[in-house]
Amino acid sequence: METYKSGNRIILHIDVNSAFLSWEATYRLQHGASLDLREVPSVVGGNEESRHGIVLAKSIPAKKYGIQTGEVLWQARNKCPNLIIVPPDYSLYMKCSTALTDLLYEYSPLLERYSIDECFLDITESLREKSPLDIAREISNKVKSVLGFTVNIGISVNKLLAKMASDFEKPDKVHTLFPDEVPKKLWPLPVRDLFMVGRRTAPKLYRLNIFSIGQLAHADPEFLTAHFKSFGNLLWRYANGIDNSPVNPFSAVAKGIGNSTTTPFNVDTEREALLFLLSLVETASSRLRSARLLAQVVSVSIRKTDLSFFSHQRKLLTPTDNTEVLFKTARALFREFWDGTPLRHLGVAFSSLCNDRFCQTSIFEDERIYKKKSLDSSIDAIRLNHGNTSVVRGSFINSGIPPLTGGIIDDYPGMRSQL
Amino acid sequence: MKVLMKSVDMICISSCEGVITPIKFRWFEDGQEPKIIRIDRILDRKTEKLAGNLMLVFTVQSIINGVERIFEMKYEASTYKWYLYKL
Repeated sequence: METYKSGNRIILHIDVNSAFLSWEATYRLQHGASLDLREVPSVVGGNEESRHGIVLAKSIPAKKYGIQTGEVLWQARNKCPNLIIVPPDYSLYMKCSTALTDLLYEYSPLLERYSIDECFLDITESLREKSPLDIAREISNKVKSVLGFTVNIGISVNKLLAKMASDFEKPDKVHTLFPDEVPKKLWPLPVRDLFMVGRRTAPKLYRLNIFSIGQLAHADPEFLTAHFKSFGNLLWRYANGIDNSPVNPFSAVAKGIGNSTTTPFNVDTEREALLFLLSLVETASSRLRSARLLAQVVSVSIRKTDLSFFSHQRKLLTPTDNTEVLFKTARALFREFWDGTPLRHLGVAFSSLCNDRFCQTSIFEDERIYKKKSLDSSIDAIRLNHGNTSVVRGSFINSGIPPLTGGIIDDYPGMRSQL
Repeated sequence: MKVLMKSVDMICISSCEGVITPIKFRWFEDGQEPKIIRIDRILDRKTEKLAGNLMLVFTVQSIINGVERIFEMKYEASTYKWYLYKL
């Protein structure tokens, strides 16, 4: 606990316990429900008819039945026949997340919304008379009494340790993980619990006889670099609790914009697949334009019915936000790598983004680009004023495929893998 | 008091200062004539922000079926709806 006095930063990581589920439970209680979803086996799950039927969040009693996030709903129902399944409501989640950040801004302006239910808060300058533990407890109590849900708070000197600390014991707990506590609290944990060690990295570490975070921390960084390249060094630093990434209040600026969808039926003809791609490009490109960005890299991803995943990407000569150009690139990519096997999931993503005010033009550029630009902006304006389906492409008529797909709500902060 | 959470038609005053005061409401019960209840006193008012959803909660007193009762009413700011919350 002495560490925070010696000129270190103090970072809190605030993580909402079973976020989607507890937000739904709180909303229902506010509207007079007699049952608290958090106290019975319950999950938030997608629509099974449109094949989005997976567990998005679970209550703690549901966890005791072995139900896992990401599991298919019928499997979850097999484990617990009395399971209560509630549909997701992303606009409610966005509202709850904004209410949480508004409350946290009272403590420090240095707030980074890491995902919809996680925030980093740098309170170094806000400490004054109070200890970090007091502030964390105050925040935790205030969130519980004002907003009605519980959070876990991790306290440390950097984002990584704060994030690891908030994951210790749930729910409604405050944990510290200062550098002097790392050998006692972090090192005995299995290596799979470390941030960035996922289901692919963990088996590779097991093969190197590394099973705990402590073993990873004591491994030779050069040995790890030989096996994992620069990622090995990052893992070694994380295992030793070293991380210098700043709490960045502006990190919400997108690195890429994309949309993907699980199709309601297996897609086995090229025409259907391309229509799905077009409807995804329609929404993703309009998001690009509303954010005033241009994209230079287009990538297309597919998931086949056996759940195998493939993706393909290409760099454009000049950055663009034009629906037609982006779709033509996506179409070419798709034709190159699809072998005709049925698909259940399609996605497009645009990256290498740049501002649309200054960009390099090309002498090879289509001379009709200005006409296309004004067509795009007219369509965007009509859709904004008269609804998304006020102007749609003729090719979608009677196809059974929605003319615009993806993009649940605006500005929904997704999860990132970088601190 | 029992939780009812029934939506009701309300007449209220929204003052120049932005203070909302319920006056009387109409409450439809299944298969019965609508009841019109005048709010005699406001005993307590507080704001609630559970799940980030702003609601005003009023503890009020009225005469219902000839009996003086204390009950709670809620106003949901996002939907402009009034509810008879607890009776």
